[in-house]
Amino acid sequence: MSRPAVAWKPARVARGPFLAALGMLAICQRAYVTLWRQPVLLISTMLFPIIYLLLLGNSLNRPLRAVSLAVVDEAGNALSAECLRGAAALETGRDLVRLHIVQDRAEALTALRRGAYRGIWVLPQGLARLGPTPSFIGDNTDRASYETLETALGEIWTEAAAGRGVAPAVPSSRLEAYPYLDYVTYLAPAVVCLAIFMGSMVSGGLQVLEDRMYGYHEGYLVTPITTGALVSGHILAGSIIASIAGSAVLVAVLLFAPLPLLSSPSIAASVFTIFLTALSVSGVWSLLFSRARHASVLRGMFGIINAALFFPSGALYPIESYPAWLRTLSALDPLTYGVRALRDLILKGAPIASCYPAWLFLATFTVVCGMLTRVLFRREI
Amino acid sequence: MSVVSSFDPPPPFLDDDFPRPLEFPEIPTARTRPLRPSIEAIGLTKRFGDFVADDSVTFTVPPGETYGLLGPNGAGKTTLVRMLTTLLPPTSGVARIRGHDVVSARGQVRRAIGTVSQAITTDENLSVRENLSVQGKMYGLWGRELKRRIELRLGQVGLWEKRGQLTRTLSGGMRRRLEIARGVLHSPRVLFLDEPTTGLDPQSRRAIWDLLGEMKASDPELAVVLTTHAMDEADYLCDRVAIMDAGRILQEGEPERLKRALETGEHVSIETDHPISDTHRDELAAIGAANWRSPAPGHVEFQSRPGEGVGRRASQWLEEKGYTIVHLTIAPVTLEDVFFSWTGRGLRE
Repeated sequence: MSRPAVAWKPARVARGPFLAALGMLAICQRAYVTLWRQPVLLISTMLFPIIYLLLLGNSLNRPLRAVSLAVVDEAGNALSAECLRGAAALETGRDLVRLHIVQDRAEALTALRRGAYRGIWVLPQGLARLGPTPSFIGDNTDRASYETLETALGEIWTEAAAGRGVAPAVPSSRLEAYPYLDYVTYLAPAVVCLAIFMGSMVSGGLQVLEDRMYGYHEGYLVTPITTGALVSGHILAGSIIASIAGSAVLVAVLLFAPLPLLSSPSIAASVFTIFLTALSVSGVWSLLFSRARHASVLRGMFGIINAALFFPSGALYPIESYPAWLRTLSALDPLTYGVRALRDLILKGAPIASCYPAWLFLATFTVVCGMLTRVLFRREI
Repeated sequence: MSVVSSFDPPPPFLDDDFPRPLEFPEIPTARTRPLRPSIEAIGLTKRFGDFVADDSVTFTVPPGETYGLLGPNGAGKTTLVRMLTTLLPPTSGVARIRGHDVVSARGQVRRAIGTVSQAITTDENLSVRENLSVQGKMYGLWGRELKRRIELRLGQVGLWEKRGQLTRTLSGGMRRRLEIARGVLHSPRVLFLDEPTTGLDPQSRRAIWDLLGEMKASDPELAVVLTTHAMDEADYLCDRVAIMDAGRILQEGEPERLKRALETGEHVSIETDHPISDTHRDELAAIGAANWRSPAPGHVEFQSRPGEGVGRRASQWLEEKGYTIVHLTIAPVTLEDVFFSWTGRGLRE
């Protein structure tokens, strides 16, 4: 069979690595455009971590105020009066407690069990320096308020028992290596990582799953692009969107939080850290969804993966407090390295070289996830 | 901006002649190229557990042919297409696209084929042009070449004016045409169309038929595999059809030949001024009338072999015998008759 005699100029068609790069570019182009066309998804991706920061940062690790405390003064002597003055100072000064003077110990105890008080301070009959001494009965289901009240009341007793005219002990020297940071600012790097988590989920992870559900993937599975390039494209697409989300949250933090040690190189290194963290988290999503076909998988996995990546990362509390098994999980969690590197860079103004081990881990983690996804990915319908 | 209106021949980069497969002898042509089947399936079988979706399917499609796969739901058509387009590995058997094995040479196969799936595969959040741009890049097209092809294909499917519109705002017919533009963007050598006109209005169907006709006219080597439930579509578009059921090809051939082979394909209905006597009926049966029935006095219906003029001769003969023909209908045999004759009328699960 002969063809029409039309002179064809050879088409400039990419092959090999250039084809792979073009294919990845196409996947990224699609993910980027798709996300911009869904403003609700975009805004919620960026808003979720900021809401998280505001709510979590202001609900955790704040000073206690107006805790109900019952005082039973059975002694009625000068020392108990000194103790009552100290307790009153806690109410008027630090606003730590709301004092309730109760006559009967049993009555106070009943009220504590009903939840009216968080603690009872009993000043027993014959209260004296050498005993009997005050006793504290506290609601120990809430460790934070129990320990705070116990410490504060202990200090009042120590001071009252020492007597007037005795000079307080000289406090030991305490120096802070870095400028003061409130808890919200301390949380900022963790929240940037949370934005990365969300961004990589809605673009990389969700996109792969949606493509399978709606049949879009049939269109590109039959193209000559290699499976490796397909997987890399999805990971890259997820990480670009996640990097944009993470960087947007970083900018919000930089605008509103006082970070005196921040410098231009550390901002650049932070953005690079965000990109590497985004790559590794996108790698996790790609691996999880390499065979998934239904949105129920995402719904089922979201909470688990969120908890499994975020909480072991040291985002909220120091890793040193974790049990051994959680430390192991933490050591394998890419967010641990992202949070650590970002804290070093933006809170401590650490030299960029200090992030190299974290960067190396994140890059290696991404490659391993990518390779596993490549093996598990089924280019089939 | 001008839009090129005719289909251009495929570019050399898709001309996957090398390495030449040994199993196909070289036949000298004008271009001294080996003529090899566009599609060759030998004993192609696909099992899902105990269920056999395709059972030892064998067929060949030469270059330039439009081959129809007809069959009821669950006949194995889509599975067959998926195996040929590398989306499903066969359980056994061999399939080659332009000499490239669909399992061991998937890269070359994917380069040679274009697919228009039953499912909508264009992203509704992208514009018409963006959908083609994304697809083109996956075939290695870029820059001016990609731009030129997008312009050409959108012009051909009549969507150039809609190029900036979001895909989700297109009608069903437009969306289907976009799917076709996407499937042929890279000028494939073998095109797979899986129920391309399902759910479309007659105008959209006709537009797609015309489009395929234009494509075939401009690229005589383009082989097309079409799966469809629409018998008129298969009749209009296909050079050959295969009737499938339960994973097997039951009959294969040119639509006209299949129709003519049907013993009782032609339906004849004759109304006369008075009832036809039993004697005359027996004489009509001798001409070739079969399955005689008389729904009312003076009204007879029978079937006959297509292409032999039995209906016309019967009416002439009746007039010679003194009957006045009040009404005469000779319904030609359709591909649907052929289809039912092979697959039966029972509903499928």
